[in-house]
Amino acid sequence: MSYYLLLSALLFAIGLYGVLARRTAILIFMSVELMLNSANLALAAFARGSGNLNGQAMALIVIALAAAEVAVGLGIVVAVFRSRQSTAVDDLAEFRG
Amino acid sequence: MLLILIILLPLLGFAYLGLFGKSLKEPQPGILASALTGISFLLVLWGVLSGGASWQIKDWLPGIPFSLLLDHLSGYMGLVVTGIGFLIHVYAIGYMHGDEGFSRFFAYLNFFIAMMMTLVLAGSYPVMFIGWEGVGLASFLLIGFWYTVKKNADSARKAFITNRIGDLGFLLGMALLYGSFGTLSIPELRSAINGSYVLPMGLSLAGLLLFVGAVGKSAQVPLMVWLPDAMAGPTPVSALIHAATMVTAGVYLIARSSFLYVNLQDVSYIIALVGITTAAYGALSALGQWDIKKIVAYSTISQLGYMFLAVGVGAYWIAIFHVMTHAFYKALLFLASGSVIHSLDGEQDIRKMGGLKKYLPRTNLHGLAGALSLAGFPLLAGFWSKDAIITATLNYPFGGTGFYVAGLTVALLTAIYAMRWYALVFLGEYKGEGRPHESPAVMTVPNDVLALGAVFAGLLALPKPLWNLVEPYLAPALAHVEVHEMSLALEWGLITLSAVVALVGLYLGYAAFTRWALPKWYQTFQTWSEKAFYVDLVYNTLIVNPLKELAVLLDWLDKIFDSGYLLLASSSKWLAEQLSWVQAGYVRVYGALMALGLVVLLVWGVLR
Amino acid sequence: MSVFDLLMGALLVASALAAVTLKNAIHAGLALVGNFLALAVVYFALEAQFLGWIQIIVYAGAVMVLFLFVIMLLFDAKADVGPNPLPWMRPIAAALAALLFLALAYAYSSLGPIDPLADVKLAGGLPKALGAILYGGWLYPVLLVAVLLFAATVAAVVLVQPQIRKTRIKPQVLERDRELKEVGR
Repeated sequence: MSYYLLLSALLFAIGLYGVLARRTAILIFMSVELMLNSANLALAAFARGSGNLNGQAMALIVIALAAAEVAVGLGIVVAVFRSRQSTAVDDLAEFRG
Repeated sequence: MLLILIILLPLLGFAYLGLFGKSLKEPQPGILASALTGISFLLVLWGVLSGGASWQIKDWLPGIPFSLLLDHLSGYMGLVVTGIGFLIHVYAIGYMHGDEGFSRFFAYLNFFIAMMMTLVLAGSYPVMFIGWEGVGLASFLLIGFWYTVKKNADSARKAFITNRIGDLGFLLGMALLYGSFGTLSIPELRSAINGSYVLPMGLSLAGLLLFVGAVGKSAQVPLMVWLPDAMAGPTPVSALIHAATMVTAGVYLIARSSFLYVNLQDVSYIIALVGITTAAYGALSALGQWDIKKIVAYSTISQLGYMFLAVGVGAYWIAIFHVMTHAFYKALLFLASGSVIHSLDGEQDIRKMGGLKKYLPRTNLHGLAGALSLAGFPLLAGFWSKDAIITATLNYPFGGTGFYVAGLTVALLTAIYAMRWYALVFLGEYKGEGRPHESPAVMTVPNDVLALGAVFAGLLALPKPLWNLVEPYLAPALAHVEVHEMSLALEWGLITLSAVVALVGLYLGYAAFTRWALPKWYQTFQTWSEKAFYVDLVYNTLIVNPLKELAVLLDWLDKIFDSGYLLLASSSKWLAEQLSWVQAGYVRVYGALMALGLVVLLVWGVLR
Repeated sequence: MSVFDLLMGALLVASALAAVTLKNAIHAGLALVGNFLALAVVYFALEAQFLGWIQIIVYAGAVMVLFLFVIMLLFDAKADVGPNPLPWMRPIAAALAALLFLALAYAYSSLGPIDPLADVKLAGGLPKALGAILYGGWLYPVLLVAVLLFAATVAAVVLVQPQIRKTRIKPQVLERDRELKEVGR
């Protein structure tokens, strides 16, 4: 199943590119979701490869976590937007050396 | 429980006044503090009447219990401390009237009483040391009570630092005793020393070191320089701490350790020598002073010298007896001085006084009683105790006659300067400005009591064949010294002699400073005496200034060392500044660095 | 490797690239929905049917609807977010992504072939088999996830409460920040 593993690595890298290159919080979140999904793909591929359902169970848990993360993350985005009228992450740069 | 209460009550007063004193209105803090001291006095009295007590906490320090002991000696001393302390507390309510630090003053006074009672009631040397240091601290705080004036703060530091030298001696002496006997409890040490045939090596050194502690606390030669400067504190402090109680702690320490010193003839001889030297030095210095309080301060040094002379020659009970009579008349002299200063709105120069007899009739009587008692006017308290000391020196086998003659000479000087003090302040014409006014009753009534003591306290111990209550009372707590009995005729002859000396001194003092034109040589002496024989100058030149130079040098060396650390600090700061761009504040930069770390870890993990 | 695999791979990569590059946020979101749906199909192919359905319902359904909703609620999808303070970030991001891909590929290749366990059947990844595992050995993680979801729900409610307005940053603070930024440069 190394094909799907490679595919998941590629999707993961694309997600990373999105996280680093995107400039609004909401799009960065979407890229993070992409990375999470690529990880799920790898888990499913491992499950298939080893004939073991644990990989799928793990993927389910990741999906649940992702749902929680989205709820909180979008809450933060909304709160930040309310106070700053912007979701550009580069504006949140007060903490620096 | 009774014993710890004696200490805890004033300590509680200190804590309360220190924390909440500001919210109390004058004179509430004074009343509270006086009441607590008064209760302590009653408790001590109760303890004394019920025949003594002891109290201890085991395992306070490994192998050293915290023990308090109320026996005849500490009971007697405790009565003096709390009794005189109570009177001075009451007096201070009037004296400190209107002072900004009213409650702070009484907090310190109560702290002093607590610490002094710890010192007195201590059943072992470490406990005594706590009190010893505590009274030193209280003395420091009270000398520098008006700390906004630099001179006062300097005087406080001088007293504290000079006392440190003595305290080091005390500590080392304790260590030696512990090393030799494995205990520091006073009763245990007493039986250990009395029970051993061969005394351990170094016991003389231990005794000498303890005596160094006493020298520092009691302002003996050569550590006497702090006491005159200690007069920077408010006058009740001078009376309580620097005349009646704390400075006699050294005498008390030697008397407490009499079982030790009675076996150390060599050390005792040194003590007697230091005592008579100090007595002479104090008396000579007192003659030339112009500050009303400094005369009394040098007189205190001189009288403390007498006490050390007494313990040196083995007359322990007489020293303790003199502690009491001295506490009365010296506290009285100080409080009378304070009353004068109070009435003249802070004037302390006796050249601007004179003739105050007319303005301050009550204070005049107090001053007269105190001065006559100090001078040894026949039948007053000071006469009996001082005469007992001088007579006791004759029994001393090692050069007793020399000590006797010296002691008598100093007694003559004492009478002269006591009269000079009285004559210049109260007799003649008033030379100052302003209108003197008599002090309020809260100040004069305690003085009345003290005056009664200064006149009649001597009646507690009269020479043979009259009654003597003090010696048999103190005997169980002190070491027994075999005394060669004098014939009654000789003894009363000597008493007459010292009475004559005192009267002659008083006349000389009166005549010289009110009628005679003083000769040229006296003017020279006057200058030397006024500067206290330039001891401060000598110490500054020989010790203080070289130390300051050393400090400057060390500071310079320290800066060199510091520069290395500063270099280290500045270089790491520089490095941090160079690296701070990493903390750009941009989430995306952090993300990129995180990804880089992930790649590195991944490759490293696989390769490993 | 079948044609199906290749097709699905191409679809996944293409939709992922679209999701991270499209300027329009709505378009990017829709590309991501496509990616999720394609992934669900791959899950079916990998004998993970339940996972596939969950993927469609939770991700393509709930999560993406939430995303699109927030996008439309908060801002104009084409809104310009101002000048880019990190213009060099894009090539670095690409390089890092490539590096990460190579590192991952290298790590996978070092694993060697994965041997199927003969005695365990995936049973098509249906709930019957998966449930036995989830409520067996995975019970505690499942419970913990439940707690986490609860906490997240509370957190989301608290975060978007109207009181949050009180912490609105004062204009003078923003002004000072701007000045600091300029001094920093």
